[in-house]
Amino acid sequence: MSNHFIYLDPSPQATGDGPLTGKRIAVQSNIAVQGWPTTAGSLALENYTALEDATAVARIRAQGGIITGSSRMSELGFGLRDDAGEAVLRDEGTDAVLLTDFLGEARVTAADVCMFGYKPTYGLVSRFGLIGLIPSMETYGVVSASLRTISAVMDSIAGPDARDFSMSDREKPEFAPRTISNRPTVKAGFPTEVMTMLTDEEQRAYCKGLRMLFDRGISVEEVSLPEFTLFSLVHGVMGSVEASSSAGKYDGVRYGHRAQGTKNWNEMYLKSRGEAFGALLKSYLFQGAYFQFENYDIFEKAGRIRARLVKSVNDLLDVVDILVMPTKRKPFEGRWAETVHDVYNAFSLTLPANVTGLPVLQVPGFIMDGGEDLGMQWIGPAFGDARLLDLANHFFEHNEANV
Amino acid sequence: MDYEAVVGLEIHVELNCPTKMFCDCPNRPGDEPNKNTCPICLWLPGAIPRFGYEALDKATLACLALNCEIQEKSAFDQKVYYYPDLPKGFQLSQAHYPLARNGWLNIIGEDGQSKRLRIHHIHMEEDVAKLVHEMEGKTPISLVDFNRAGAPLIEIVTEPDMRSPHDAMEFVRLLRTQIRYAGSSECSLEAGTMRVDANISIRPRGTDQMNTKVEVKNMNSIRHVGDAIAYEIERQKESLAAGEPIVLHTRLWDPVKKVTIAMRGKFAGPCVPDPSVPPILISREWLADKIARLPEMPTVKAERFNRQFDLSEEESFQLCGEKETADYFEQVMAFPVPARMANHWLTTQLLPALKEREETLPASRVTPSRFAELLMLIDRNEVNANSAKTVLMRLFETDLPVLTVIEQGGFSQVSDASELEGIIAGVLEKHAAAVADYRGGNAKTLGFLIGQAMQASGGKANPKMVRELLIKTLTP
Repeated sequence: MSNHFIYLDPSPQATGDGPLTGKRIAVQSNIAVQGWPTTAGSLALENYTALEDATAVARIRAQGGIITGSSRMSELGFGLRDDAGEAVLRDEGTDAVLLTDFLGEARVTAADVCMFGYKPTYGLVSRFGLIGLIPSMETYGVVSASLRTISAVMDSIAGPDARDFSMSDREKPEFAPRTISNRPTVKAGFPTEVMTMLTDEEQRAYCKGLRMLFDRGISVEEVSLPEFTLFSLVHGVMGSVEASSSAGKYDGVRYGHRAQGTKNWNEMYLKSRGEAFGALLKSYLFQGAYFQFENYDIFEKAGRIRARLVKSVNDLLDVVDILVMPTKRKPFEGRWAETVHDVYNAFSLTLPANVTGLPVLQVPGFIMDGGEDLGMQWIGPAFGDARLLDLANHFFEHNEANV
Repeated sequence: MDYEAVVGLEIHVELNCPTKMFCDCPNRPGDEPNKNTCPICLWLPGAIPRFGYEALDKATLACLALNCEIQEKSAFDQKVYYYPDLPKGFQLSQAHYPLARNGWLNIIGEDGQSKRLRIHHIHMEEDVAKLVHEMEGKTPISLVDFNRAGAPLIEIVTEPDMRSPHDAMEFVRLLRTQIRYAGSSECSLEAGTMRVDANISIRPRGTDQMNTKVEVKNMNSIRHVGDAIAYEIERQKESLAAGEPIVLHTRLWDPVKKVTIAMRGKFAGPCVPDPSVPPILISREWLADKIARLPEMPTVKAERFNRQFDLSEEESFQLCGEKETADYFEQVMAFPVPARMANHWLTTQLLPALKEREETLPASRVTPSRFAELLMLIDRNEVNANSAKTVLMRLFETDLPVLTVIEQGGFSQVSDASELEGIIAGVLEKHAAAVADYRGGNAKTLGFLIGQAMQASGGKANPKMVRELLIKTLTP
């Protein structure tokens, strides 16, 4: 078995026919497939087997998709150090990978392999069966070389699910690719504050990318998000608190690693959790516990700032059709992030879409001087998912990513 | 120093919904352990809680019955604490935005005056699992039963308005009546569908300071609520007298030794909003519908009974304490039966008999119409009181018409004058001495003679007629 997977289905099968027929799709190991080990990259879920299919898995199979296996991932999805999504796409003849996205994982993974990566609007796809960490920020993400495949996956997994009450009541949008006949007028805004935080080298790639949009007929204008640095801080406070709560259930009693030789239940909890979690995740959970138990005011303040940030981005999206910014930072590699601080630096440009819950597409093509691709994010208005993918399809129709 | 007590209550009430709060599992905690469970209420990874509207309905009715203002927006938080009865590490509870605020109940205080006790707020929350401690050979083990996990609860938090065990017991009694009327819960301390925790502090009488409080738990009856509070007030007075400070902590009531025992420091975990459970927004139309569904509450009903039927204020209030009893009475009153008589027979005969049989009024074979039929026969002197009691007991065992039961048992009252005269003649002949005694001026002997005549008739004689005929015969 390829070491990119923790489980490979010996005879993968679809349950129906549809736009995904014949497509081979891998899932991350925190996405429930009945009977499969679902360890979410953590000892805390060692030997845990899913009792039911995640809604997204059942829907993909019903549309003809083949779920090939379950890929390795970082502990409970925090960071990309042990993530195999990008290797699966490169090495395994896989059409798409379905993964969890609460920091920007789908976009950064896609940028690493020069593919498309998509994170839908929060509340558009059921989270039932997704073993999550930060429930208010996370959704599924899809990575594929083909925009059409992403649209087809979205078409199958989006839409109301009675098992996830946090979803929007909206009807499922039509994702079937439509040809936009007339030359659409599209306005893209680039935030000044993003430009100024980049290195010279990154700025050149960013400008080149904006130029490329302009050449394709997209008008590009400068916009301002004065509080851009707050996205990371708000995510760091609220995300860590939610993670601390979510990870509270991993006590090693019913599943997962259980410490031996303990004297009472309290010691068993402490030791089991102490042994199960790695240093990076532990420090993140400590951070959350600190705000939860010692400094709750900061958490509440972060909630208020979050609402303000959402409003500021939505206001901009009333003026422009999309916001564009790079996906990755050259100086901060997600794959090498060792501390919570490193992780937040590596995802600093992708966090805003998670904080605001907005749909976002990573498009390959912010090429730097050295040939490395920083990737380009297109952030669209809430529930404008279908339109966002349609636009991208229009402008990149004959330019599917080269793998 | 003269102290007064300051008491507030935190009351958990288990709602009688058919399913749990966040999944479709049956809400039957008493079933075989872990039978009523699913990934959601086992709190397994990947499951998402799904709030059930039954719980909202029942909770809202209970809040309305306690005169609360239902909040337009309420929301669930994750109340974080780690204990084996809560394996997911947090309980879903409305910590920041409760369902209802500003309620009250009017009790009768110790001075006989009406006294308003305020409710600070009422919030919804899920129950946790139940721990069962057993021995496996010589090793103590703890088992976790998830049948109760996720069961729908409301928690009623009062203002510290109570000043005595009496106030607290009256409050709990009235609260139970109101919530039973609303149909939201049985509120049984004994069966565990209601749990009362008391927060108690004392202060010099006449001051309004709020001193360190002590929480007392584990009272299994209303009587115990009073006893535990009374004990704790005395304990605190003694502590202060001995110069010991009162420390914030939790104590358990020991119903056998009748004392409170220190348990642990009071712990309050943090509460963060749960992003997976959307806020509850209540529309005016929805609320109006709930208000319309709320039945006539006991005070209003008692006032109406007092006006509508020939009952005293006291009798009306007694009768309306239980909705089932009041409803039954009203159904009986649809027949031409005197109210006082119906009330008397209901409270002194029917209810005690039901209790003995562990039956309930709605499920009893003694339906309102059968009971009314019997009462009408008594009223028309077709059966006397003694026989009627026996007939009533037989009605519990059979569905036969009341008249058939009376005929088959030969319980018809003898009101035929000539037949009675024959019986009386026999009695007078047998008890010549008593007759002489009566004629000699001892009126009390009449009672003896009536008794003898009744006995001679096998208890079936119309006692009123016997009395009249005796007087007529004995009077020269």
